[in-house]
Amino acid sequence: MSSEGEVIMTCEEARGYFVDVWRGDMDETAERAFQTHLHSCETCRREVESLRSVWEGLGAVPRPEPDAGLRTDFYSSLREWQRRDSERKRPLWWVRHPAVQGIAAAVVLAAGIGIGRLTLGHDEGKLADLQREVNDMRQMVALSLLQQQSASDRLKGVSWTYRVEQSDIEVQDALLHTLKTDPNENVRLAAVDALRKFSRSPETRAGLVQALETQRSPIVQVAIIDELVDLGDKSSIRTMNGLLQEPELNPSVRKRVQWAVGQLQ
Amino acid sequence: MRRVCQGDLGGLAALFERYHRPLYQYFVHLSGNRDLSQDLVQDVFFRILKYRDTFQPDASFTAWMYQIARNTHTDSLRKRRFEVIPGGADAKEIEMPSHDEAPEDRIGRKQEVKLLRKALDRLPPEKREVLILSRYQNLKYEEIAEILDCEVNTVKVRVYRAVQALSQIYFQMANEKAG
Repeated sequence: MSSEGEVIMTCEEARGYFVDVWRGDMDETAERAFQTHLHSCETCRREVESLRSVWEGLGAVPRPEPDAGLRTDFYSSLREWQRRDSERKRPLWWVRHPAVQGIAAAVVLAAGIGIGRLTLGHDEGKLADLQREVNDMRQMVALSLLQQQSASDRLKGVSWTYRVEQSDIEVQDALLHTLKTDPNENVRLAAVDALRKFSRSPETRAGLVQALETQRSPIVQVAIIDELVDLGDKSSIRTMNGLLQEPELNPSVRKRVQWAVGQLQ
Repeated sequence: MRRVCQGDLGGLAALFERYHRPLYQYFVHLSGNRDLSQDLVQDVFFRILKYRDTFQPDASFTAWMYQIARNTHTDSLRKRRFEVIPGGADAKEIEMPSHDEAPEDRIGRKQEVKLLRKALDRLPPEKREVLILSRYQNLKYEEIAEILDCEVNTVKVRVYRAVQALSQIYFQMANEKAG
């Protein structure tokens, strides 16, 4: 330090601050000491300016932009990860193993026959009532969650729809409404998957085709197209051909539509 | 990241939207290969998901993510058993930005930037990497130090040396071109 309390910098120390100078990232004391050093050292002065031009030139090197396929691929992978994850998290997931299911079915059948013989005719009505109540409760939870403001709540609502009966028209309509109007892309994507459960219904198929006409998110478009191909829905070909006429259609979606039309024809 | 750690995989979408572009640029600058870079970005997000339990909530997510990105890149090099020469056909496809300059200035500037881009590709990988992290990824020194597993002062010195080396290559190439 000098007598005035000023920090004296060596050339080696000054070079350690070059990057800070270029990034505009120096505190006042260091800046003062650095400028004092530059004032007295022509070598450092020349070097910092010469290298600064290179540093600034780097800023003009264009930044490459990823194409739309990266986003499409990511969201398609994400859906797959979410599906696997929810399967893994499902309680007693091992029950889904075919061998376990076969044994369980046999045990339940034998128990059912036994209990049925013992209590024939007594509790049939009560059991049906109970089943109806459970389904009503699940339907209520699903519909209520689907109307929440938070996207993660609505996603939970979509998950709850897996627990209601396939014939539940109210839930099917709510999912179609979500697919067409939900502002969140992830919720719409989840709704596409959940609608598979209702794919036997002509309303679901028609709703998917209608959603494809109005959907503007490439990821959701691809998900609907995949589902319609899986369902073998030939009635969607006309809508898909219509999409192909749109000049601004996302290139990845265009490819997917061309593939889908080939599959469905 | 907190959402992802808590099991909400939908949170990964938000991370993707925020980081996929800088990650892609990091990989393109490192490898010079656009298709490979797209695959590597996907791989990074898959690894984030896979190793989410190893993330410390009080640590910097960006530094953690770039550590994963570095490993992903290293693994891809190992798998392919050869190093892609940056600045190949892919790198040349990158569009130049437009400037509000006179045409002759613009052409001169364009050539300078092109030359600088080539010089950057000729830098040794470790120097190129520290420059990419400090110049293009807007990372703090502390984060770069964490990613490269060194001291903050070492980062500053490495960046300085990388710019110095780049400058030598650039002016050498410019002289060769002029001569």
